[in-house]
Amino acid sequence: MRYKTNPIDRTYFADEPAEDFNVIGSVVQRSDALGHVTGRTTFFEDLSPPDLLHVKMHRSTRHHARILGVDLTDALAVPGVVRILTHADIPNNVFTPLKLIGVQPDDEPVLAEGKVRYLGEPICAVVAETEAAAYEGAARVRVDYEELPAVLDVEEALAEGAPIVNEYHGNNYFTYEGHHCRRIRFGDVESAFAAADHVFEWRYQSAPIEHAPTETTGCIVVPQPDGRLRIHSDTQACFFTLDNTALILGTPFNKLRIVGGTVGGGFGGKVDIAVEPVACVAAMLTRQPVKYVYSRYEEMQVSSPRAAERIYIKDAVMADGRITGRKITLYVDAGAYSRHSPYGTTKAAAHLPGPYSIPNVWADCHCVFTNRTPSSAMRGFGVTIGDFALESQMDRIARELSMDPLRLRLINAYRDGDMKAHRKVAEGTALVEVIQKAAEMVGHELPAEYRQMSSMDRASMDREGR
Amino acid sequence: MITAVRTPESLAAAVGHAAAGGRLMAGGTVVMAQVNSGSVGSPELVSLRRAGIGGISLDGSAARIGATTTLAEVEESPELAFLRDAVRSIASPAIRSLATVGGNLFVPQPYGDLAVCLLALDATVEIAGPDGSREVPVDVVLANGVAPGEVVTAVRLAVPAPGTWFYHKAMRRKLNSAAIVAVAAVVGTAGGVVTSARIALGGVAPRPVRAVSAEGVLIGRPLETDVLDEAGRAARGDIEPFDDAYASAWYRARVLPVHLRRAFLG
Amino acid sequence: MASQVVNLRVNERSREFLAAPGTSLLSSLRDALGLMAAKRGCAQGSCGTCTVLLDGRPVMSCLVAVETVDGASVRTLEGVARDGELDEVQAAFLEGFATQCGFCTAGMIMSAEALLDRNPDPTREDVVEAISGNVCRCTGYGPIVDAILDAAARRRP
Repeated sequence: MRYKTNPIDRTYFADEPAEDFNVIGSVVQRSDALGHVTGRTTFFEDLSPPDLLHVKMHRSTRHHARILGVDLTDALAVPGVVRILTHADIPNNVFTPLKLIGVQPDDEPVLAEGKVRYLGEPICAVVAETEAAAYEGAARVRVDYEELPAVLDVEEALAEGAPIVNEYHGNNYFTYEGHHCRRIRFGDVESAFAAADHVFEWRYQSAPIEHAPTETTGCIVVPQPDGRLRIHSDTQACFFTLDNTALILGTPFNKLRIVGGTVGGGFGGKVDIAVEPVACVAAMLTRQPVKYVYSRYEEMQVSSPRAAERIYIKDAVMADGRITGRKITLYVDAGAYSRHSPYGTTKAAAHLPGPYSIPNVWADCHCVFTNRTPSSAMRGFGVTIGDFALESQMDRIARELSMDPLRLRLINAYRDGDMKAHRKVAEGTALVEVIQKAAEMVGHELPAEYRQMSSMDRASMDREGR
Repeated sequence: MITAVRTPESLAAAVGHAAAGGRLMAGGTVVMAQVNSGSVGSPELVSLRRAGIGGISLDGSAARIGATTTLAEVEESPELAFLRDAVRSIASPAIRSLATVGGNLFVPQPYGDLAVCLLALDATVEIAGPDGSREVPVDVVLANGVAPGEVVTAVRLAVPAPGTWFYHKAMRRKLNSAAIVAVAAVVGTAGGVVTSARIALGGVAPRPVRAVSAEGVLIGRPLETDVLDEAGRAARGDIEPFDDAYASAWYRARVLPVHLRRAFLG
Repeated sequence: MASQVVNLRVNERSREFLAAPGTSLLSSLRDALGLMAAKRGCAQGSCGTCTVLLDGRPVMSCLVAVETVDGASVRTLEGVARDGELDEVQAAFLEGFATQCGFCTAGMIMSAEALLDRNPDPTREDVVEAISGNVCRCTGYGPIVDAILDAAARRRP
């Protein structure tokens, strides 16, 4: 069988030299495929160092609770259990992964300290000679809780009197440069609503989505004779993981070495520094190689999913299909800790109001803390659910106006040179051409004036389209 | 933690280990998953793999299937060809080459589609124990399990006459998924009307159940859409549906009549 | 009870090793024999990354207590290539872009080998059923099914 490629439509690349197209449109074998089909690709767990110890975690059985006491007696008595780590063993226990790009405050303990904020939060790490002993030890840790009221909904979390989830923030939302949310203010949406022929408002929401990689999150840490730690990990972000781990360990970056880049499915789910710090501390304290890998259950229950979102969109629409105002209130459920969600919420705001030129835009994008599993990165996070909402909104408007949904989009599509809501000038938009091409390929007929529209010619569109 | 795995080479030895408190394991598809997650209750496992209780034999229409016969062996058996579609609706090939007929009696719903079939077939279960052996109807085993120390050694069933066997399973995916609703039935007709009916349902109660209300509706009437719809609605009185990751209790009850009808009319 | 000595015929070689009580075939292959192609994806029999052939049949090796199959014959992906030459399934996967992250590949190929051993001329439906226990979360099923059909064609005389 020969792998086939589609011919390139070079209409829009007329100015590019032909020799630049030596990869697109040709067959290039993956560099890793031979290793995959022979079983020789080395994933982190394909390492089997002698005297390997295993870590299993005792996790919170509550959504929100104060920890009154932790009893390790029975767990330490399990044959094969070597040591049990608590928060006191982690040099800098409280962190946040995006501190590397200046996001603050540190808001998440590596191992729970004083309270737990979500079901499945790690409390104690049991280090044992066998996986079975580590499981047995983890099952025998006793934690005494005082239950606290939990909040599991973004709007309830922002309501007056809601229980505070994360004291490091003081509020159930992430603060952006002094503001309670990420905001867009462009033109005057209220005037647009007043002048509109139609006002449409709908609500959209999504559940958390788990990446479910076939290889679960994990690492093996091997102490080196020179005192460094070699971390074999399936992280998607080797140096991001290394730097964060070094900060948590309070050790110079060059005392860690990370071996990675071979990931058995990530999809954004392996960037949270979830296992490396604990495995490193265990390796430092025992001076033995340590493996800490999630079970499938842990991967489903505690690895961070794509955030659940709730999005309200209110549009001012003229009878001819022009959208003259768009007001959006968007909630990202970060779960109990920041992880990558403050950034994801910023991405959501940056993506609004979609690829359309709308003269009046108002948006409030809230990054909200709840007692749910912390959410984080996943393929286009911050953008994907927003697109689902925005494009659903476009289809519903078209239906309400009895209008072809592609024409509605062509009328409103941004053009090169348009001022976007973020006060940046749009360039290289190509949306008009993509819609035209897609319509042609599926046999969706467009009238001549729509086929003649161009993303590079706003004037012609104003002349003919509106 | 597991401290011993026994692989007895005779039924008597297996019964002895089971009576001493070992956890019985046939294909391992349930027990080993628990071992791997550190959640198996017993420190000692007793494998039936070599206890000599596998194999399929046929005497006329009377079939005897040894307890450790794998689902793959049932699937390939020409004598049990009527069960092939049902078996192929269970899990995937790499599970069917481990999972056994006997083990299928002890898996929690919505798994255990073969047990649903055995209930419809009015199968008998052979059980060996420290005090000898006994035979009981399959519904008794599905309801009460077996006593500690007892080992299921075989199931006996009558191969249904041509045209009397019906099976249909509704799943989230076409392959390798648990039952939302499973319907297995042996229904005889004469002169265009139903003369005998045994219908068993899976996925709609904590264990496989007989749809006796539906059976009552069918007797004396033709296998036609309106009759089957009525039977399906009646069958809602026989179930105790539950919520799980595959479907809600509400959904299971809602779609039951549809799938009961499809079992007979496609 | 102490660890047991287990003998297996693995990829045509006799192997003897010690297994602690409750050790799975998967763990034995990986930890005792150093055969790392079969992967632990779930340890619950749900993902298929650990699929190997046990006495010619595909099994989830994470669900096999290794002491109970003493004396059996096992085939893993390491035993598929012949004299360093890729077999038809491997070659079809390689040339058909049927791998992405590679984590499911060993299990996929072993399920394909099991299918083609019994059914040299499978339909597309047969292939889909054969790999129904193997999860590819990169969602590359299309090229995988194509590759297995291609392998069957390559293998036919």
